[in-house]
Amino acid sequence: MFGYYLQLAFRNLRRNPGLTALMIGAVALGIAVCVMTLTMYRAMSGNPIWWKNDVLYAVTLDSWDPKDPYNEDKPELAPWQLTYRDATALMESDIPKRKLIMHKAIGVLALDGQAVKPERALTRVTTKDFFMMFDVPFQYGGGWTDAGDKGPEPVLVLSKKMNDKFFRGENSVGRRIRWDDREFRVVGVLDHWLPLPTFYDVNNGALEEPEDVYIPFGWSVPLELDSAGNTQGWKPEDIETYQEFLASETIWLQMWVELPDAASQQRFQAFIDNYASGQKQAGRFQRPLNNRLTKVDQWLIDNEVVENDDRVLVGLAFAFLAVCLLNTVGLLLAKFLNNAAITGVRRALGASRRQVFFQHLVEVGVISSIGAVLGLAIGGLLLMGLRALYAIDPTDAGGTQALAHVDLTSVVTALALAFFATIAAGLYPAWRIGRIPPAIYLKAQ
Amino acid sequence: MTAWNLRPIASALWRNRTGALLVAFQIAIGLAVLVNAVYVVKQRVDKINRPNGMDVENMIVVASAGFAKDFDYDTSWREDLATIRGLPGVKAASLVSNIPLSGGGSSSGYQAEPGEMNPETVVEANTFSVDEQGVAALGITLSSGRAFEAHEIIPADKEKDWESAPQAIVTEALAKAVFPKDRNALGKTFYDGLNTPITIVGIIENMHGSWVGWDKVEHVMLFPRIKSGPNGVYLVRTEPGRRDAIMRTIEERLGTSNPGRLLRWVRPLTYFERQSYLNDRNMAIFLVSVTTALLAITALGIFGLATFNVSTRIRQIGTRRAVGARRLDIVRHFLVENWMVTTAGVVVGCGAALAVGYWISVKYELPRLDLYYLVGGAFAIWLIGLFAAWQPARRASAISPAVASRTV
Repeated sequence: MFGYYLQLAFRNLRRNPGLTALMIGAVALGIAVCVMTLTMYRAMSGNPIWWKNDVLYAVTLDSWDPKDPYNEDKPELAPWQLTYRDATALMESDIPKRKLIMHKAIGVLALDGQAVKPERALTRVTTKDFFMMFDVPFQYGGGWTDAGDKGPEPVLVLSKKMNDKFFRGENSVGRRIRWDDREFRVVGVLDHWLPLPTFYDVNNGALEEPEDVYIPFGWSVPLELDSAGNTQGWKPEDIETYQEFLASETIWLQMWVELPDAASQQRFQAFIDNYASGQKQAGRFQRPLNNRLTKVDQWLIDNEVVENDDRVLVGLAFAFLAVCLLNTVGLLLAKFLNNAAITGVRRALGASRRQVFFQHLVEVGVISSIGAVLGLAIGGLLLMGLRALYAIDPTDAGGTQALAHVDLTSVVTALALAFFATIAAGLYPAWRIGRIPPAIYLKAQ
Repeated sequence: MTAWNLRPIASALWRNRTGALLVAFQIAIGLAVLVNAVYVVKQRVDKINRPNGMDVENMIVVASAGFAKDFDYDTSWREDLATIRGLPGVKAASLVSNIPLSGGGSSSGYQAEPGEMNPETVVEANTFSVDEQGVAALGITLSSGRAFEAHEIIPADKEKDWESAPQAIVTEALAKAVFPKDRNALGKTFYDGLNTPITIVGIIENMHGSWVGWDKVEHVMLFPRIKSGPNGVYLVRTEPGRRDAIMRTIEERLGTSNPGRLLRWVRPLTYFERQSYLNDRNMAIFLVSVTTALLAITALGIFGLATFNVSTRIRQIGTRRAVGARRLDIVRHFLVENWMVTTAGVVVGCGAALAVGYWISVKYELPRLDLYYLVGGAFAIWLIGLFAAWQPARRASAISPAVASRTV
């Protein structure tokens, strides 16, 4: 029976080609715009490490100006970076399963005796747990050990991109490379890794690509590294030397911890509260106690990675889909009623309402399937257009280009959503046509 | 006014209301989206087009990074600037600490009186270090005072990079914020958080700083200082039309002049401007295209409904024509019918537009939706409706009265 309905559906589509094209076009456009907008939304606001959302926490302490909150618009939040003294003090705790402090820096990578030009590379200066905590994939080798941080040992991890550039993608573990005039040994090479947004440091735009080089945090002090991200202070302090900078109220470090269960989370919260109270007694932390452990999803909202813009876009996408669906319902109704005479004959010859209903539903299914395929194609084109919109300079592989990396999940979601919505939209016309008393259409003949 | 026959049209419409209601809903959504999209786009376009005070079109940014162990920063920037300034077509070039409109910069608090910072009077300002050609390289206009002189420029010193200089050139907006009562702040002294006195030697008519999204983007201050190395950023201003050629020359000359450093890039300042306004621009493009597509689909819906209505009433139309209705009456019948549907949609749509407008004004902290937009949007929708129903109505009027006497 289904095969016969399918045959009928295709025959009916050819009966009013104009109307059919209109309908398929509307469905396709609705799906295309939805696919594009949801991909954009997901790229900008998705949680790229959702599987660890319940165990990863950003650590923040309110060490800010007693007179003013860090963020005037969200006075309930603590500053999102830490001072050197607080970060290193909290790192002493054994409660978290994994923990890290880090900052961004800039260095020049160079290879002696090779034709490869030196390259300026964004660098993450971090303690060893970074790779394990954020499930960073390795192509070769791995991270460094505790000794690497303490030494500090001259070891580094390269991104796939840098390894391709300097070592032509070969296994470079054990090879030597200069980072800002100091020789380092490669211990690991990352595989392709593009967590968008780069939730762990939303400092300089969350759509930036991850850094190209990773070196142990222990190098920060001996090399007197500054942060290439934001460095902020509130207290007028006379900072002349690096030691004074480290001892100051300047915030520049990010801290994350992995706490596997509620008990460890409570213990760590108690630990940082206790630490802040101790500092309060010593004259610091004059604001109300506000020490936070923030999960990734909340972190993205707090730091406004999910911008208002994006929500407007999602609203627009759904308004668009709604108009397309209303349109489809109207057109389907018109189309079915146009053929009501034939349906009347079918009913008179013994087709039940149920059968008429299903016959028309199959027709709707055919229309939405063709619409979905076409919509996906148009959506692909629109995404390419989007990529062009975000490319500032064709030669520049900026992070925002990564925005248009097609995310399969969101494409499938949007597609399924639009497909089922179209079928749902077809329910009413299919039902309505089944309700028509056959006699009316037979009389006129 | 029986000629308009509103009652029978309305009752005919009511008998087949499902299709009409669907179209009316489309129109309502279309109007709500149209009005608010136009409003948001207007805000974005205004933001992108505000004057930033600089000669952006003719400016180049050059970034150099020294990496050799014994890299001589002072010699390097002197040589580089001498090379650049010597190129024909270059008006001025200056070493700068940050790039205007780029999203990266530094800011600090200042106030008119010495002593501890008072939250009531402290003013945030975006600071840039430049040399004696800074004002010329930025292409800004001084409304009073003077540019920096060569002897005022403080040499590079890593430990003093972030300290204030004794002189500064400030924007009018900043001067007004620090000295709200004075008409002319030239020559006046104000203070930073460490109580360093700073004297205003020049006032800039208008200049935008680093962050285009900041509500105090016009609070800009220039210090006469050489930023410490080893990374140097040069701002170059050229004669109109010669920018791109000069960029290539700079790349050639500086790319090989010093093996101890890396010429990171040479970019037009418009690159940064474009990047900073990218989201605003894209949002505007996106809204315009999606709204256009949405209106097109709505128009198709109106067209489809009218076509359907005509095709199901061929016999009635023929009968009306046979008993004396003119072609004009038939056209009018369908246009009025369509107008009723559109109007129903517009009425609901006005409510929806206001609700969405309220939501957006709260989200973006924008002024409330202007009612002119609503009126304009309603007229636009009426026009679109008329346009979409025109062809089916014409077709209906072409139906021959003879149809009435034929069996279908």
